[in-house]
Amino acid sequence: MPHVIIDGHIYEFEGKPGLLQFCLDHGIELPHFCYHPSMSVPANCRQCLVDVGAPVRDRASGEIQTHEDGNPVIRYFPKLQTSCSHVIADGQVVHTARTSKKVARAQQDTLEFLLINHPLDCPICDQAGHCPLQIQAYKYGPEGSRFEFQKVHKPKKVKLGPRVVLDAERCINCTRCTRFTDEISKSHQLTIIERSVKNYPITPPGVTFDEPYSMNVIDLCPVGALTSADFRFQARIWELASAPSIAPANAKGSNCYLWTRDNLVLRITPRHNPNVNEYWLPDEDRLVYHRFNANRPLGPQVRGAGGTLCEATWDDAFRAAADVLAKAGERTVFIASAFATVEDNWLLLQLAQSLGAEIAGYIEHIEPGHGDGWLRTDDRTPNSEGCRRLGLMPVDAVVLRARLAAGAIGALYVLEDDPIAAGLCSVEDLGDVPVVLHYYNTTNETLHAAQVVLPAAMVAETIGTFVNEDGHAQRVVPAKAIRDTNRTLMMQMGLSRADRHGTPFDRWHNEAHYVNCKPSWELLPEVARRLGVDLQHGGPRRIMRKISEKLPAFEGATYEVMGLQGVLLPERVAEEAPENA
Amino acid sequence: MADFIKNPVVDLPDPDPAPHFSEEELVFTANEKAEIARRIAQYPTSDGAVMWTLWLAQDKFGFLPPEVLRLVAQELERPYAQVYGVATFYTQYYKEKKGTHVLDVCTCFSCQFCGGYDILDYLERKLGIKRGQTTPCERFTLQEVECLGACGSAPMLQVSNGPYAHNLTPEKIDVLLATLENGEPLPFVSLTLPQDEDQMQGNRRSDAEAVEAYQVPPVAKLTS
Repeated sequence: MPHVIIDGHIYEFEGKPGLLQFCLDHGIELPHFCYHPSMSVPANCRQCLVDVGAPVRDRASGEIQTHEDGNPVIRYFPKLQTSCSHVIADGQVVHTARTSKKVARAQQDTLEFLLINHPLDCPICDQAGHCPLQIQAYKYGPEGSRFEFQKVHKPKKVKLGPRVVLDAERCINCTRCTRFTDEISKSHQLTIIERSVKNYPITPPGVTFDEPYSMNVIDLCPVGALTSADFRFQARIWELASAPSIAPANAKGSNCYLWTRDNLVLRITPRHNPNVNEYWLPDEDRLVYHRFNANRPLGPQVRGAGGTLCEATWDDAFRAAADVLAKAGERTVFIASAFATVEDNWLLLQLAQSLGAEIAGYIEHIEPGHGDGWLRTDDRTPNSEGCRRLGLMPVDAVVLRARLAAGAIGALYVLEDDPIAAGLCSVEDLGDVPVVLHYYNTTNETLHAAQVVLPAAMVAETIGTFVNEDGHAQRVVPAKAIRDTNRTLMMQMGLSRADRHGTPFDRWHNEAHYVNCKPSWELLPEVARRLGVDLQHGGPRRIMRKISEKLPAFEGATYEVMGLQGVLLPERVAEEAPENA
Repeated sequence: MADFIKNPVVDLPDPDPAPHFSEEELVFTANEKAEIARRIAQYPTSDGAVMWTLWLAQDKFGFLPPEVLRLVAQELERPYAQVYGVATFYTQYYKEKKGTHVLDVCTCFSCQFCGGYDILDYLERKLGIKRGQTTPCERFTLQEVECLGACGSAPMLQVSNGPYAHNLTPEKIDVLLATLENGEPLPFVSLTLPQDEDQMQGNRRSDAEAVEAYQVPPVAKLTS
């Protein structure tokens, strides 16, 4: 097998790998800015320079020439090579900055050039703390600057579009952003203008950088030149904790990180998953985080004698919900939710089955024409495929309204959705039919008609599984703690410095950010228990294991197998009969 | 350039400038379109024809405001952003309206030594404008440029991205301006080399319209 010697270590390779990617894959760090694995290689930052040599072959015989000691004669390239654009060949010898002073010096000098006109904005820059330029200047760069004249000043806080702000001084012209718009999103809205010290990326006159994937350039930018209009100056990066999750704004299930500070989600960034979203995340998935923070309920409520919703204890609320269900019995209609996890919907199925009642299906949220065949879909819910795989079908609004009019429905149990806002039925249609509602936000319009309302944990607060439209089952883990949970004790939760070392008595700590809600996989068994039904399950991990064993559509989808990258479920049989496993 | 070193500020281009040309004006004729198509066919992709088409557009419209760049992009079926990036990269593409004749006076190293700033200063006084400005009659624009590769005949200037004027003196400039004002064309001047003068009548180029002999360069008076 062909081999390459990097810093004295022999590595075998197959095919024609690029040297930089090969090194990164093998845990050899090489500093770089402009290289990105999914885009073309311009080799314009000159930071990944290495010294490369190849064995000398005898021209006549084609044999490799050797020294007297038997080692091959190595002839080095006359100049240092950019490892990003260098394709490895058999027998080549590579020296990185670790074994070559020449390379170390070259990388240091390149950084000195890059830093000539880079402003010292680090103390106020959003990128500080996770900035490749900062990190690499620290590790490979010169100790100081020899340039004592005034730095070039370029435009600052230029709004390129509704979501991206440019700080041109900070740009090192790696062209990642322009290559993204040219090669990946193909909107062609950005270009590098002018030349030499004056150049920077911007939109041409009369063009706004408003494509639906514009915020990806913020993650791509190796410095703080492109920042989010939304997250700009909101938090320092080291104050944030991140949790791997699934973006909930559409049915693609793009992998993301939720970043929290003081238990508020402040931003959403993409998480690499080669099978779903690669490195990218559409803007709509990033801007949903307000839902997690704003308009959250204060606690469970029950409609009192006066007809208004009154605050209740959890126990009273569960009892009231159980009363509603007990009274209606088999005439209860359950409505599942494509916003809720597979586990929650499955528990709802169990509850319905134990009552002998019917599940009408889940509420569809389709926005025709919204999808683009890439990471945005017409379906604006994260788990409709999960519902379908549980045997649930979209609710037929006409049938439901007819049955309500005929008085055939004794009670409505709605899981984590808003049937009135979705146009399924109106307050008048519901009439006197009592509604039990699991809900996320106080903007939920069904609250006006509900008898018992139970605040449910959102995707940022719960543990569970979503299935995207292509049949990828993927896990979500909590990023936000809810009332009565402790971030440190919740083993799966990402922790920031403040989480580790802070206390509830710190000045910045705000108890109101801990929403008084519970995940539906806690709510449903509690309601069931008061009906005399045992739905104890031992946690979502065990529920999922049970589902994966019982339902062929979920075969193999255990938490252990899904991990952080998810698993592709077997093809769903189209005419699968609805089964209440 | 000297100004930029003292005050290194890069301005933001106008994000939404008012158009200079109307919809009716913004068209290529059938002949021009045919020529553009011929140029595109010379390259694997139409990127290759961007620079040439920009020249064509600059000749036609005088300068390249955004609406003209859009027209070029549309004709080549290339992204407008790419065409804009190319146009801003080269100073020879005029992004704003210039005079009929653009005088690019070289003040780079060699010309500076041989009196490039003397020539620039003389032109400023003669035309009554500063470098970078256009005369009120819109006939002349005066610019300071970097090396044009004619150090042997310093100080020198270039007229509208075209012919060079070599070995400049105030008298020669007077003649040059008079020629341009009369609307007479400037000849392409080939500069002889001392070692050639015996053999080829000093002229290596057979296509040169005029020949000028090499002279020992002068020394700058201004020291600014």
